[in-house]
Amino acid sequence: MSGVHGVELGVFVFFFLLVTVMGFVAARWRRGEHLDSLDEWGLGGRSFGTFVSWFLIGGDIYTAYTFVAVPALLYAGNMIGFFAVPYTIILYPIIFVFLPRLWSVSHRHGYVTPADFIRGRFGSKGLALAVAVTGVLATMPYIALQLVGIQVVLEVMGIGNGSDSWFVKDLPLLIAFAVLAAYTYSSGLRAPALIAFVKDTLIYIVIIVAVIYLPTKLGGWDGIFAAAKTSFGHANDAAVAAGKPPSAGIIPAQPLHWAYVSLALGSALALFMYPHSLTGVLASKNRSVIRRNASLLPAYSFLLGLLALLGFAAVAAGVKTDNAQLAVPLMFRAMFPDWFAGVAFAAIAIGALVPAAIMSIAAANLWTRNVYKAFINPTATPKQEARQSKLISLVVKFGALIFVVALPNEFAINLQLLGGVWILQTLPALVGGLYTRWFHRYALLAGWAVGMVYGTWVAYIQPSAADPHAHFGSSLAVVPLTDTKGYIALTAFVLNMVVVVLATLAMRALKVSEGVDETRPDDYHADAGDPGVHEVPLEEPGTAPATG
Amino acid sequence: MAEHDTTSGTGAWVAVAVLLGIGIVGPLLVFVYDSETPTLLGFPFYYWFQFLMIPIVSVLTYAAFRIAQGATRRERRARGLGPEAGKEDRR
Repeated sequence: MSGVHGVELGVFVFFFLLVTVMGFVAARWRRGEHLDSLDEWGLGGRSFGTFVSWFLIGGDIYTAYTFVAVPALLYAGNMIGFFAVPYTIILYPIIFVFLPRLWSVSHRHGYVTPADFIRGRFGSKGLALAVAVTGVLATMPYIALQLVGIQVVLEVMGIGNGSDSWFVKDLPLLIAFAVLAAYTYSSGLRAPALIAFVKDTLIYIVIIVAVIYLPTKLGGWDGIFAAAKTSFGHANDAAVAAGKPPSAGIIPAQPLHWAYVSLALGSALALFMYPHSLTGVLASKNRSVIRRNASLLPAYSFLLGLLALLGFAAVAAGVKTDNAQLAVPLMFRAMFPDWFAGVAFAAIAIGALVPAAIMSIAAANLWTRNVYKAFINPTATPKQEARQSKLISLVVKFGALIFVVALPNEFAINLQLLGGVWILQTLPALVGGLYTRWFHRYALLAGWAVGMVYGTWVAYIQPSAADPHAHFGSSLAVVPLTDTKGYIALTAFVLNMVVVVLATLAMRALKVSEGVDETRPDDYHADAGDPGVHEVPLEEPGTAPATG
Repeated sequence: MAEHDTTSGTGAWVAVAVLLGIGIVGPLLVFVYDSETPTLLGFPFYYWFQFLMIPIVSVLTYAAFRIAQGATRRERRARGLGPEAGKEDRR
């Protein structure tokens, strides 16, 4: 790394300050206007049609995940990283199947969170609590991934380098974190909402320039693939010479197929269990919007795939770094003029801040609604609720910071995949509950517990490639009874389902009370304008609505 | 729209299930496309095939959407509900 570049840093700081100011100004948006301008925001959220939803959700797809985490895998010769493409392809048919049902039942009964639905469907506050706590927990490593993205950009720009002290090294990240925490605390969701426009504009400019301009400079895509192949060939020769198995390549060998498939399938099933993505879906105007968007959104997968391949482009560009996550930013620096590198870095950093803010707010609202109000203080005033949400949004971000510091993050994607291990364990209750009342509430709870414990334990004992004593070093583990590696989340999920089915049979045989179901079959097909369908109040009183 | 009995309603949902099933299972059949050749515009088969699946699954999902929309409308009419809301949201 060749130190700080003035123009690059200047452009970056300009955009960063711009969005910081916007973040704080967003708090004042409301003052002086009529009282319900916040509600207006929420209402806007509830009436998003196809185009606006498409644009907003699309902007959310491009985070540090796309720019940093996925290309890092490919740069390192780990072709498994391309699973992000099948993941985002199969995601949409899956959404098409179950989200309209969730939309309908939520709008009939005013459910705002997945835990609300679980409580109503199974009459079980305990199961709802489990789902809510899992949502909050799983969001933390996902936010951690975004923080790593910011860290990477800062490092490439030469801020905080050249010091051995961990404090100076991590100081820029801590500052970025503090800024994020401060404006989400004071402005709530209005901050990311306002910043999202800057973010999306910057991101689309950078993406289009990157995927069109860079290949022309690197001998076209055939040049890029050829360079990657040659480079990985050398890496494999070196690995064999050192007595290790060759692992780099551009196409997964047969033993890696299940890893590829299970990562794609597990990620796709997990995504819409997260509090932030579900609330966003509930914000769409009616059932049709969800289904129409499901056929439009794959357009984004195309750009995502090309961005992933920038990992190979970095190899072709001759970028040499031990930290694969620096590869794409380093390539930007080497290939772009300084001012545009500054724009690109700002896009990545802001593109990480916005989802981090949205995720922490959604997780906080989930906590306030389904834990604080349901268990701790049922008679909380709106003011107390707001204070609780703000506080928890800080706790969630602080938790994310712990994940960044405590877990190996040579491949930050493992952080997001760890979140997936946890959140996927809520799928049997949520999606199962949408279709059948056969699963017993206690069986679902037992399955969840088994899946959580198994998934966490197996993830814990995975060493990282760089450090055999590290924990949580990989999201892949050998599937029991086989010698094939697969995504831990999916293995834990299968175990979870087995327990659910067996325990349901036991509970039914013992005639344990199955709780009261407050939903009716036709609730699952209701659409906007039908009798009994209300607009869902997508915000806690006094706090911002959760969408995105 | 012509009269449709319940059988054709079921048929529509079966068609939806098949279209979506292809869209979900297809991209996961890695053994079908884990080959380097033939290349296209410099992309190994493995990569361009997966890119190609994006528009294909998109079209399958859109077809499923149109069939589901028609089937829902007929079912709603049969149950005496108004036409599905949301025809006006193309903006």
